[in-house]
Amino acid sequence: MRNFYTSLVLLLAMAFILPVQAASEFAEKHVVLQISDDDPFKQTLVLNVANNLIKHYGQEKVDVEIVAFGPGLRLLFENNANSDRINSLTTNKVIFSACGNTIEGMSKQLGHAPALHKDAKVVPGGVVRIIDLVDQGYQLIKP
Amino acid sequence: MIKIQSKNILITAAVIGAMTTSTVQAANWLMIQGTEPSGAAERAKVWGFVQAQYQKNTSDENTTDPTGGYIPPKLIGPNLTSQQQFNVNRARIGVRGTGMPLDSNINYFLLTEFGNNGITAGNNGSGHVTDASITLNEIPGARIRVGLFKTPGAEEGLQAIHVFDYINFSAVTNQMLLERYPNQTYTGNIAPVTLPSPTPLNGFDKSVGAFRDTGVQVFDTFKMSDWEHSYAVMIGNGNGLNFGDNDNNKDTYLYWSSELVFSGEGARREGMKMFAWTQNGKRRLDNTNDSTHNPTKFDRDRSGIGFKYLKKPFRVSAEYMKGDGMIFVGPDKPSMWINDSAGAVAQGVGDGANGKANGYYLEGGWYIPGSKWEIDLRYDVYNRLTDDAAFAAGPNIGKSFEMQFKNITLGAQYHINKKTRINMEVTDMSAEAVDFGPPSASNPNNNLDGLDKVYAVQITHIF
Repeated sequence: MRNFYTSLVLLLAMAFILPVQAASEFAEKHVVLQISDDDPFKQTLVLNVANNLIKHYGQEKVDVEIVAFGPGLRLLFENNANSDRINSLTTNKVIFSACGNTIEGMSKQLGHAPALHKDAKVVPGGVVRIIDLVDQGYQLIKP
Repeated sequence: MIKIQSKNILITAAVIGAMTTSTVQAANWLMIQGTEPSGAAERAKVWGFVQAQYQKNTSDENTTDPTGGYIPPKLIGPNLTSQQQFNVNRARIGVRGTGMPLDSNINYFLLTEFGNNGITAGNNGSGHVTDASITLNEIPGARIRVGLFKTPGAEEGLQAIHVFDYINFSAVTNQMLLERYPNQTYTGNIAPVTLPSPTPLNGFDKSVGAFRDTGVQVFDTFKMSDWEHSYAVMIGNGNGLNFGDNDNNKDTYLYWSSELVFSGEGARREGMKMFAWTQNGKRRLDNTNDSTHNPTKFDRDRSGIGFKYLKKPFRVSAEYMKGDGMIFVGPDKPSMWINDSAGAVAQGVGDGANGKANGYYLEGGWYIPGSKWEIDLRYDVYNRLTDDAAFAAGPNIGKSFEMQFKNITLGAQYHINKKTRINMEVTDMSAEAVDFGPPSASNPNNNLDGLDKVYAVQITHIF
């Protein structure tokens, strides 16, 4: 019976730990990349950084999440010119998070919600998402 | 410390990555010039380029004959007052982007010229708007571009001039496509000159067309596997950079290209492109040699077909073009066609207003592997006034004024970096009035005798 409770506790602990470790259970590095400004060069840059991280550490050894908010959300627009690169990074387990607050603000300006890339995951707030990830041990990089 | 180091490495890697990955851009001239990358365009991207050059023409005036003199091909344009000169032939600055970055469906393009060339020479001051357009990308398969911009047509004209592989255009592009607009009223022929020239040989009082027009264009590109098919349909004033219309007629432009894309993107994308185009319009011209302002309309039709193959280290391209009506017969003839008071074509001019012409170029390049050098070679032919009526009287009875121009250009380019390069080229020119014999008095070949070479060096910096 004691083994049962021990196993249960371990299972519960893993249930809490696993989401924190996100994509790869073997990841040794956890990086969150911030894109929040309007400059198209920054879009290229943040994708390059993600790509270089995957190449350097290997897909299984690093978790990479790109959080887009403010003007930087344009990176995750459905028809963004970098969509092919986003598709490629997604297959390498890179996560793309779109700020819900920004979407709400842009919706007011556009008169409709901006169409997002199919793999973009909407989070309540981009900054909040970054803070949460940093609390979980992620390193924040702002290319 | 380790954290800081790893961050620095990441940032360094990112910067290197950014430098080696060019911005995603549309893939042909219609798209490169008329659209912006979706979701990744700036509100206002300032850009431009400067081209500075030196050219020397080694032709002589044919002093063995008393009627010989310097004619336009023996001088350096656009001023045509010297055989050698330094020039800032292009100094362009513009801004492009999307006014509201959230909405990628609308973009704009504005460009101005401050260099010394056919756009700004003469009475046009030192600055001129060359492009001012808005593109609406709302309808799939039918983008709409309105304003002043390059018309869909020949490769030499449509392509971005700052990546043009030569300094000077081929003869057929320069004479048949780069449109000169007749002066509003009759202007007499300017005779061959001695140097220093008492009168500039360039007598036009308007900008050249610069392969541009003001109007509306519907266009788009469709990707099918490795192929890319593009079309453009345009209606314009047919009045070049002069914004408004002056003849109550509109020009129509049709363009199609199909390209097998090999790799890359942007202006130097590798692929095999085939294209065809046609332009049709009318021009208003006062061509009678009298004091009455009585302009009439003449057709101006142009068409062409060509291909371009680029897969480094090799490039080959060719284009055949033909024209009907409003054939330019030299900058010294600002009325383009001159009648005497009796209505007969004047000696030594030819019927440009109703004339026909054709020409072609064949060129290739070799990018020397492992170096920043590129070697270029071009052969071009232009047959002007191919159906010109023969003189009915006078010493040249029975002879027409058909002219044939042949040029061979050998060039080299040194790419200092992606935005800066030096062009060097030498063009061996020849021209002949085909119905006339060896140079002699009252013979146009007398002035053409002595035509020799043009040496040119030019530096281009894009910012």
